[in-house]
Amino acid sequence: MSAAKKILIVEDEQDVLAYFEAIFQDNGYDTVLARNGIEGFELAKSEKPDLIALDITMPGQSGMKTYRQYKRHPALKDIPVIIITAVNDSFKSLLDELNGFSTPEAFFNKPIDPEELLKVVAGILSE
Amino acid sequence: MTQTSFASDHKKWINEQLFDTIPLGIAVIDPEFNLVYANSAFEQLFGSWKHHKCYNIYKSREDMCSYCESTLTFKDGTPRINEEVGYDRSGRQIRYLQHTTPIVDEDGNFPFIIHIFTNITEAAQIRDEYQLLLDQVPCNILLIDRNFRIIKANKRLRDWLGDVQDRYCFETLKGLKHKCTECTARQTFTDGQMHTGYHSWQSKKGKILHFHVITVPLKQPNGKFDLVMEMAVDVTQTLRLEDGLKFANTFLETIIATSMDGIFAVNERGKITIFNPAARKLFNIKNNQVVSREELAAMLPTGFLAQVSELPGHVYLPEIEVKTINGEAFPVRLIGNRLMADDGAIGMAFSVQDLRKIKQLEQEKLEAERLAAVGHTVAGLSHGIKNLITALEGGMYMLNSGLSKGNIERIQKGMEMLVRNIERISIFVKAFLSFSKGRQIQAKYCDPAEIAQEVVDLYAVKAAKLGIVLKNEKLGDVNPAPIDYESMHECLTNLVGNAIDACQVSEGAGCHVTVRTFEDDGAIIYEVTDNGCGMDYEVKRKVFTTFFTTKGLGGSGLGLLMTKKIVQEHGGKIDLESVPGKGTTFRISLPRLRLPKVISKEA
Repeated sequence: MSAAKKILIVEDEQDVLAYFEAIFQDNGYDTVLARNGIEGFELAKSEKPDLIALDITMPGQSGMKTYRQYKRHPALKDIPVIIITAVNDSFKSLLDELNGFSTPEAFFNKPIDPEELLKVVAGILSE
Repeated sequence: MTQTSFASDHKKWINEQLFDTIPLGIAVIDPEFNLVYANSAFEQLFGSWKHHKCYNIYKSREDMCSYCESTLTFKDGTPRINEEVGYDRSGRQIRYLQHTTPIVDEDGNFPFIIHIFTNITEAAQIRDEYQLLLDQVPCNILLIDRNFRIIKANKRLRDWLGDVQDRYCFETLKGLKHKCTECTARQTFTDGQMHTGYHSWQSKKGKILHFHVITVPLKQPNGKFDLVMEMAVDVTQTLRLEDGLKFANTFLETIIATSMDGIFAVNERGKITIFNPAARKLFNIKNNQVVSREELAAMLPTGFLAQVSELPGHVYLPEIEVKTINGEAFPVRLIGNRLMADDGAIGMAFSVQDLRKIKQLEQEKLEAERLAAVGHTVAGLSHGIKNLITALEGGMYMLNSGLSKGNIERIQKGMEMLVRNIERISIFVKAFLSFSKGRQIQAKYCDPAEIAQEVVDLYAVKAAKLGIVLKNEKLGDVNPAPIDYESMHECLTNLVGNAIDACQVSEGAGCHVTVRTFEDDGAIIYEVTDNGCGMDYEVKRKVFTTFFTTKGLGGSGLGLLMTKKIVQEHGGKIDLESVPGKGTTFRISLPRLRLPKVISKEA
């Protein structure tokens, strides 16, 4: 049995962060927590997670900018990213804003279905 | 009484006395030009003459005249008559006719010459004056005979048309080969009366001038006449001015009649001279209804007519209430002009623009903006609610999983999450209700800079504690304006609070927040500038348009929406400039013309 997969959660709402942490930990994943985009970028570089769960609306630096930083960084650009957001924009309009950057692996609109989230995460990580 | 007695006695008298009785000067000279004999009329004219030469006396000369008629008559014995200029006994210049006749002796020689003088000084002067008048009078004058030939023309006409004498007038003046159909001179020839008419004459170069022509008969004492004097005054310039005036008049009348704005005018005695269709419609006045000065004064703002008539230039009221003739009030833009001529006021002119449509459009625009803001708010609210639901679900998950695992710590955490987010829901709901209801703007005249000062004072302690330099600047004069003090206070409180928060996020030291109040191009401007964290594109894009917060639990996401709503209700706008890491400037602009109306204290 290989070591547990590591998930970086980038989310400014503390309670939501605690919620996602509990779900992933209860299902055998290691978690690393970031409270904003800048922290999320630094932790990704130092922790080398297997997957990143990223919020969009955050103070200081938005999730979109953080996403672009990941995709521009040679060591981070291949880490799969799941966007979990409460913004009303559809996944498509979000894709339109990417301006040529590769698309995220999955997109979830809050509130989430934990089972669906876990299924998608497991699918991505088994590839 | 017989003829013979006359011949003998009276002939003798005539021969002896006539020489001194005749009212003509007579003198006799010898071939050396010595005056040898003269009568008393001559002495009356020229004074004493004995032992003088003729030229000494006639001309006051020492030498002989260079041209001398008498020399010729001494040679050929022919009588001569010519006009001369000389000097009388007092030295005054005189003009006279001089008849030169030889005395013939028995041998047929001419030992003496007789000079007979007729003084024509006065007649010559009258003749000269007449000629001067004829030539210099500012009109063309010509004499025409019954064959319509020009007998004489004054210098003015000759200068213009050249030599016209003995030519037909219609040919010379109009270039025609036959008489004119309408001939003013012929009317005078027919009835002997004075007549007037308009004629166009043409110069040789084809230039056409227009004349007002007067013809008068040149009657002899017996009433008969064969000549007509024609006087022609050039009215080309006058006609041109008349045409220009006619055009300007028509142009003005058309503009006034078709103007969308109401136009009316009163003359210097206060009588209404113009009331155009647009003005009639605005003030509800029938087409043929006459408006008195009193009625006009009652429709306009109190004292407005007096104000316009007393002040130089014009009086401009950008927004004012006037009344229809039936007393119904409505808002207009009103301009009054005092009309001045060289010698004082000649009346007043007014223009009035209906503001009802514009007001309505402005109201509709504000309403549309408010609805859009509500729409954005609802969208933003759903964003907030989704986050809340996620947090609540998180609480439930923690509670349930803690229960099933018997993990007290997790149960406790789940409970805390539920309680905290239920509390947030109530904060959201209260804030949203206050936003969606809002309250009616109540504008009163107040000093815009004072609001800024009060907000800065409010944050002074907090800013000092955080090491942020908070400044208030008033640039130039800012006059009082109708503003809802409380609401604008709330706007600036939001902006300054945000600016201080932005400074706290940024890590650099030396943070400052500056509030500026000034007037620019008829608008009151508030600027709130910080050198805090600034905003990136995504944040800027959403800052006014969603139920947006980047402050997590710290903010409701309604502050800037509320600010924008208040600014819009004051007829103004708010925008921002921001550079990430450099800072942000929010600018509220309140055009004075769009500010709300003051709610009167009585109301």
